Amino acid sequence: MSGGALDGATRGGTVHSALTPAADRGAGQPVLSLRDLVVEFTTPAGVVRAVDGMSYDVFGGETLSVVGETGSGKSVSVLAALGLLRTPNLRRVSGQALLGGVDLLTLPEVELRRRLGRDVAMIFQDAISALNPVQRVGHQIAEALRVHDRALTAAAARVRVVELLDMVGVPHADARYDQYPHQFSGGMCQRVMIAMAIANRPKVLIADEPTTALDVSVQAQILDLLRVAREETGAGVVLITHDLGVVAETADRVSVTYGGRIVESGEVTQIFTRPRHPYTAALLGALPRLDTAARRLLPIPGQPPDPSELPPGCAFAPRCPISQGRSVCTEQRPEARPGPDGAGVSACHFPDEAAALLTRADSPGDTTASVSGGDAAAGSPVLDVQQAVARFPVRSGVLARPSAWVHAVDGVSLRVPAGRTLGLVGESGCGKTTLARLVLRLVEPTGGRILVDGRDVGAAGRSQLRQIRRSAQMVFQDPYASLNPRLSVGDNVAEPLRLQGLPYAKRRSQVADLFARVGLRTEHADRLPSEFSGGQRQRVAIARALASRPGLLILDEPVSALDVSVQAQVLNLLADLQRESAMAYLFVSHDLAVIRQVADEVAVMYLGRIVESGSVRRVYDDPRHPYTRALLASVPVPDPVGRADRRRVPLGGDVPSPVDPPSGCRFRTRCPIAVAICAEKEPPLRLVAGGHTACHLADETADLTPEAAR
Amino acid sequence: MYGHLVRRLLQFAVVLVLGSIAVWAFTFALPGDPATVLLGSDASESELAATRARLGLDGSIVQQYLSWIGHAVGGDLGASYYSGQPVVRELLDRIPATIQLAGFAMTLTLLIAVPVGIVVALRPHSVAGRVLQGYLTAGLAVPTFWLGLLLIIVLAVQLQWLPAASDFVPIWRDPAGAVTATILPAVAIAVHTSSVTARFLATSLGEVMGKDYIRTARAKGVPERDVIRRHALRNASLPTVTIVGLQLGSFLGGTVVIEAVFNYPGLGRLLYTAIGERDYALVQGGVLFVVATFLLLNLLVDVFYAVLDPRIRLT
Ligand SMILES: Nc1ncnc2c1ncn2[C@@H]1O[C@H](COP(=O)(O)OP(=O)(O)OP(=O)(O)O)[C@@H](O)[C@H]1O
Ligand code: SF4
Ligand code: SF4
Ligand SMILES: [Mg+2]
Repeated sequence: MSGGALDGATRGGTVHSALTPAADRGAGQPVLSLRDLVVEFTTPAGVVRAVDGMSYDVFGGETLSVVGETGSGKSVSVLAALGLLRTPNLRRVSGQALLGGVDLLTLPEVELRRRLGRDVAMIFQDAISALNPVQRVGHQIAEALRVHDRALTAAAARVRVVELLDMVGVPHADARYDQYPHQFSGGMCQRVMIAMAIANRPKVLIADEPTTALDVSVQAQILDLLRVAREETGAGVVLITHDLGVVAETADRVSVTYGGRIVESGEVTQIFTRPRHPYTAALLGALPRLDTAARRLLPIPGQPPDPSELPPGCAFAPRCPISQGRSVCTEQRPEARPGPDGAGVSACHFPDEAAALLTRADSPGDTTASVSGGDAAAGSPVLDVQQAVARFPVRSGVLARPSAWVHAVDGVSLRVPAGRTLGLVGESGCGKTTLARLVLRLVEPTGGRILVDGRDVGAAGRSQLRQIRRSAQMVFQDPYASLNPRLSVGDNVAEPLRLQGLPYAKRRSQVADLFARVGLRTEHADRLPSEFSGGQRQRVAIARALASRPGLLILDEPVSALDVSVQAQVLNLLADLQRESAMAYLFVSHDLAVIRQVADEVAVMYLGRIVESGSVRRVYDDPRHPYTRALLASVPVPDPVGRADRRRVPLGGDVPSPVDPPSGCRFRTRCPIAVAICAEKEPPLRLVAGGHTACHLADETADLTPEAAR
Repeated sequence: MYGHLVRRLLQFAVVLVLGSIAVWAFTFALPGDPATVLLGSDASESELAATRARLGLDGSIVQQYLSWIGHAVGGDLGASYYSGQPVVRELLDRIPATIQLAGFAMTLTLLIAVPVGIVVALRPHSVAGRVLQGYLTAGLAVPTFWLGLLLIIVLAVQLQWLPAASDFVPIWRDPAGAVTATILPAVAIAVHTSSVTARFLATSLGEVMGKDYIRTARAKGVPERDVIRRHALRNASLPTVTIVGLQLGSFLGGTVVIEAVFNYPGLGRLLYTAIGERDYALVQGGVLFVVATFLLLNLLVDVFYAVLDPRIRLT
């Protein structure tokens, strides 16, 4: 059960024998250069300049990471360069996109298409929807070959495609050839996309957020595969991402985007250790870390710029910690200038002051954040989950009878005391959200008991359930979906108060209070949710949750849709609120770094069960379950220094179906150290080294080096 | 796929039985007892009783239905009250004519709708796009019978290019004659239905063109024509298949108005006349045929849908 990616890749080496050495990067011509690319859209709000003079070069055999927050123009720039932007409101594309010396923007469409897929290939974010649902997967890859090689017969193409599928680690490639995308998992679809992209051995490979929709263990597989694909084809890779961890693990050089421009470019270690733009430094400070103990994050104040009204000076000026109102920043636009050693560029008037921000971030100055308060866990818990079970029927057959059950949550116990945060982590589909919804009985429990403040949720009558739902509030991933779009944000927040029958004046003043607490401006109470940014909307959702003074907040991926800089604001806000009011948090996330930042206790879920739990220190620093160890090892670390030593084989395969979980230990199909007993006996969650671990070999795993454990 | 089809077949059977009950029962809702209609209001009680017995109208309700449906399944829908001919005979006389008109109309519909839908979806702002958009609006607005009359007046009466009244000329005997005889009613029908279909196709094609997999196809270097042909149209045709199936069903039920306007000897006109004459046996048999055809077409659409869409076929 090791990573199919690597096995396949080495086998693939015999298929394509012409290995292009990636040695002379930096020398000679770039394979792709963007020069002063400008892209504008017409919108009801005026002209939006999504890309504002973007320039970068990619050389053969290297990985250039283009990193930046949502809306900074990363995707639009490459789509425009390849002529793939087709929206009717596209107003202007200017500049140059040079592919081997030819400007793609001036080519007629027929000529351009001849180069797409042959000289430059793309890998998209959401691979499942990027594949045609009604065409066989193999045919879709074969099409990429045959469209550029008319002489290739269908039979010959099939042979090549099967080789390619094999190479990207799709098992049973020959049988898989004839299947359709919906029969593939997300990770497998992304492998197919990669096979399609490297089919013609292109000179440039552009991957736009290739792993954003995937679980960490699968992400690690795909990133490995991309590296192999680059070595195989010798292509220059443009890796677009918002994840600094991915950048640090994979990039040779980095370009940071902000407001539609590149604000800094440089070699990867320089970017992470000696940034020459304050935005880069601020991003690093705002990032929760997997490897360090909880400290207060340093968010970037304010919002990313609105591309319809870019300021005349530096776009970062309103948020910049080192500008501090210096007039040159607001008046004169900083041009991208190379550094003293001639390598890399920075578009800042004061590039030498940026690196100092990093040391500020490193000083443990502000230590007020969630101090683990010794034995505060005493007393009765606010939330007490005992052996909770939730099953959903799978209906099939002629009469649509339930023929099987999805064991979404299968005997889970948790306790969260007041003022503490329990972090619940796991990959998609492991039952995290179902468990969170069980607490408010938004899902009917199949078994077990859930107590909120000592009140039994499962046995509660109507009015009691209403009370419970007042004292336990939920905050969702997508705040827009959970707010009423037709009510002003003020009314949205006041809604629970109105239901309690509070008079108008009182409501008004309480809403003002709540707004102040979550850092929103009271003047904005009359605006509609659609007029707010994602981070602000999440604040509104939190304010509404706070309105009924809950003792328990259930936070289901509350920051997953937010950018790093805004995510840090919300995480800090949650920490402050908890300190003020001693609320208990059940914090659900797939992001291990976020959980490390916010949680006191952690529970790791796999296929409906808790496989490991304990204090943050115990789970992160001394993980005993092979799954926890693999997860932690899969998370890309935002530190390029020493990444070569961190290379490891990621967890293979996908999570098995919860309809038919493996016998014995549920993790055994992917466990690298499984032994015979694992298939027979289910390991109980037992006390190991001060935490709880459900593994037969929990006592031995600690002695394994991280490498050997996998 | 298998489970899906079996479920569909069961549904089809259940709806067919319910439909047949409704068809059989509707004569009870109409004024006038068939026997009275047949014999006139001054017939004697004994004559009426004898006729009822002959028509199977005595006995309990359940018996009446079972006897009716039993005969129907055996190909006996009774005799027309009017002509005394077996209803099945009368229907079989007209069905080929109706199928031929439906075939012509559907062919024309698709010949117009597919290109028009594509142009409207892909080039909405071009001259052709705007003109065709106008055609779609007009095609939906103009009543079919009025268009039929217009065609007759201009092409048949004034220019005398084509016959005004359409006899049924079987295409397997005289293809050219069949075309001349059937083309006018077919055009009158197809203008409307092609507008509906084209609009449907244009909407779903427009949606599909914005999908990620279209972008993928372009990024592979597939020429735009093939992107549309190979990737977009197949996906866009899925919802359109449903509407085309419904249209074909209604054609086969007989296009009453058009057949009346063109005096075309199809099923529609037969039913139209039968209703006027209160020929209940004929109406019942005809409607039963129409219902069964419609349901069968629906079933076929489902099967076809599953063939086109692997997500339905393989789950
Ligand atoms: N058709 C369009 N009309 C108007 N604005 C658009 C259109 N397409 C994109 N934009 C705007 O262009 C800007 C850049 O978008 P882009 O998708 O390149 O961002 P990104 O950096 O890729 O972000 P993400 O991380 O979310 O993928 C955004 O502000 C977006 O709203
Ligand atoms: S130019 Fe001024 S505002 Fe912009 S990043 Fe540099 S210091 Fe900050
Ligand atoms: S019980 Fe066995 S299979 Fe399960 S995690 Fe432990 S070693 Fe692996
Ligand atoms: Mg993007």
